[in-house]
Amino acid sequence: MAADNEVEPGEEQLVLHPRAVRFDWSNLPLHWVPGDPQTTHTINVLHLLLPEGERWFVRVFKQALPLIADERLRTDVLGFIGQEALHAEAHSGVADHLAAHGLDASPFTRQVEWMFRRLLGDRDLHGKAAEEWLVERLAIIAAIEHFTAFLGQWILDASGLDAAGADPTMLDLLRWHGAEEVEHRSVAYDLFCHLDGRYTRRTRAMSIVAPVMLWLFVRGTRFLMCNDPQLGGRDKARLRQLRAASARGTLPTLRGMLGEVRPYFTRSFHPSQYGSTERAIAYLASSPAAQAAEAQQ
Amino acid sequence: MTLTGGPMATGVPKYPSDLRGRPRRDRLMSSLEAVVSVYQRISAYSGRRRRPVTPVSRDRELVVDRMRTEAEDVVSLRLTAPDGATLPAWRPGAHLDVVLPSGCVRQYSLCGDTADTRAYRIAVRRLPGGTGSGEVHEELRPGSRVTVRGPRNAFPLAPARSYLFVAGGIGITPILPMVRAAAARGADWQLVYTGRTTASMPFIDELTRIDPRRVWIRPDTEYGIPASGAELLERAPEGAAAYCCGPTPMITSLRVDRPASRVRSLHFERFGPPPISDGAPFEIELARSGRVLPVPADHSALDVVREAVPDVAYSCRQGHCGTCAVGLISGTVEHRDRVLPEPERENTMMICVSRATGRVVVDL
Repeated sequence: MAADNEVEPGEEQLVLHPRAVRFDWSNLPLHWVPGDPQTTHTINVLHLLLPEGERWFVRVFKQALPLIADERLRTDVLGFIGQEALHAEAHSGVADHLAAHGLDASPFTRQVEWMFRRLLGDRDLHGKAAEEWLVERLAIIAAIEHFTAFLGQWILDASGLDAAGADPTMLDLLRWHGAEEVEHRSVAYDLFCHLDGRYTRRTRAMSIVAPVMLWLFVRGTRFLMCNDPQLGGRDKARLRQLRAASARGTLPTLRGMLGEVRPYFTRSFHPSQYGSTERAIAYLASSPAAQAAEAQQ
Repeated sequence: MTLTGGPMATGVPKYPSDLRGRPRRDRLMSSLEAVVSVYQRISAYSGRRRRPVTPVSRDRELVVDRMRTEAEDVVSLRLTAPDGATLPAWRPGAHLDVVLPSGCVRQYSLCGDTADTRAYRIAVRRLPGGTGSGEVHEELRPGSRVTVRGPRNAFPLAPARSYLFVAGGIGITPILPMVRAAAARGADWQLVYTGRTTASMPFIDELTRIDPRRVWIRPDTEYGIPASGAELLERAPEGAAAYCCGPTPMITSLRVDRPASRVRSLHFERFGPPPISDGAPFEIELARSGRVLPVPADHSALDVVREAVPDVAYSCRQGHCGTCAVGLISGTVEHRDRVLPEPERENTMMICVSRATGRVVVDL
C-alpha cells in the first residue's frame, strides 16, 4: 500500500515527537560486542561525541526559531529539538558507564566540550555577524545530519551486530536513536535551505565536516583502546581490524562512509531521497525502550 | 566521565589539554581553532549576498465536493482542489488541519482511499456544544471553500504480520484506511468496532465489505458497555500490533490489559499533551518585558507564554525533553518535570508542565 503510494520527496508528513526512553546500563559489559573491543570502542565514540554535539544542535536550533517563516518547518524543528535533547541524555548515560568500568574518557570529552561550546559556540558575535555564524552552523548541522541519517539507516539494517551477540539493550539504544535520525533526517537540511540554501555554503560545510568526523572517530577509537583497563594497552586500534569488522557487518565500511559524501555535492540532493522512513517507523513500533516510553505517556 | 553540569549546562570550558597529556597544544584542537576562525570570517563575508527569508504558506484551498450523512450526527466531506488537480499523497493515520470559515482550526483524520489522489475524505461527528463540529454540520455545504494544511501523520502504521484494530465511534476514521492497508498487504488482522448503536456508527458497510469475518461490529445496545480492555483484546491474532482510536477510557483499559493479551505492541494517536490535573491558577511575569500573564488552572505556563512570545522553544510538552527550560528569577515553583537535576531547580523552570503558587518571574 504505502509502497505503491510514494509520498513525494520534501513532502514527508510524519509529525516528530520525542520519546522519553530509559535504559539501564548496570549490567552492560565493557566490551558489549563480545570479544571485539575495537568495534565496541568505535561505536563508543558516539557516546562521547553525541551528548555535547546534540546539546549544541539544540542550542543552535533554538536560536534559529525567530528566523523561521514557515509554520510547518517550525513544528518540525521543535520536534527535532526534543528528539535531539533526549538522544544526548541517553548517550551520556553510557559514557558514565565507561567510567564505572575504570575507563576515564574525560581527556577526550573535555576536548569535545570545548569544541562544541567554545569553538562552535556563539563566539561573542553580534548583529549580522552573529546571524551569519548561526546560518553557517546550521549548514554544519545539516552536513552532520547527513551522516547521522546514513548511520541510522545502517544500524537499523546491521544484522552483523546481532550475529556478533552485541548487547541487546545497547542495540536498542542505537537503533531507537538511528530510527529517529532517519525520521527527522530532512529537518536540518530544510531549515538550512529555508534560511539560505546556497550550494557553496552547504558544500563547504560538508568539506569540513567529513574529514573532521573521520579524524574524531579515528582518534576516539585509538584513545579508548589505549585507555581500556581490560586491554592494558596491549591491543591497539588497527585498520586491519576495522576492515575485518566491516566484513563481518559490525561496522560500516570506510568506503561506504566516504561514498556518502558524494551525493551531498549534487545540486538536486535532498535527504528524503535516502533512507527509509517505513523502516524507522517499523523499528520504533517494536523497540523495547520506545514501547516502554509510549506506555508511560 | 563527567560532563560538567548535565543537560542545562552551557558554561564555557577551558582550553583542553593534549589527549595523551603531553605538555603541548593538542594537534586536532589547534588545527580546528585555526580552521574555524577562518571559516567564521568567510561566513560573515558570505552573508552579504544571502537573500532574505521568504515566508512559506502551506495553506491549501479546497472545495467541499460532496457531503454525505454516514450515521446519526456524522457527515463525511469529500474535499477536492478547485481545479481538480492532484493532491499530496498520504498514508494511513494521516490527518488534515482544517481551517473553518470562523477561523477555528480542527484536526480530522483522513478516512478515504489512499489511492484516490484527487480527493480527501474526512468524517465529522457533531458533538453537543462542539464549535468546530457544529460549524462543519451547519455552515459547510457542497461548494463551500475551506483552507487545509497537511496532510501530516502522527499515527503511522508500521508493517507487521498481524494487527488488531480497535475503534470507538468516530475513532474509526484513522483506522479505516489502516484496515484497508492491512488487508491489501495480506496481513492477518481483526477489527473491533465499538459504539453506542449501529445507527450511530459510520462506515459499517464499507468495513464489512473488506472482510466480514474479520470485522466485529460491537454496539453497546447489543453487548453492553465494554467491561474491560481484555474483552476488546480477545480477538487479537498472536503477536499482533494493536492500533486504537477512541475515547480515553477505552485506550486506558487497553493499556491496562495489554500485557496479559496476545497483543505485542499498542499504538494510539496523541493529540498534544495530556490534560492538566490538579492545577491551580498562578501568574507568570516576563522579566524582559515586565508583562504579567495569568495562567489558568487548565492551561500550562507554556500555553500562555506562547501567545506573548511566539518564538519560545519547547518540544515534548510533557516535561521530559528539557527544551522549554527558562531561567527562574523569583517565585516558588512546583516542579513537575522529569529532567531538571536538583541543584538547578533553584534557578530553572520547565514551563511546559511545572506550575507555581502566586507569581513567578522568569527570564523571558
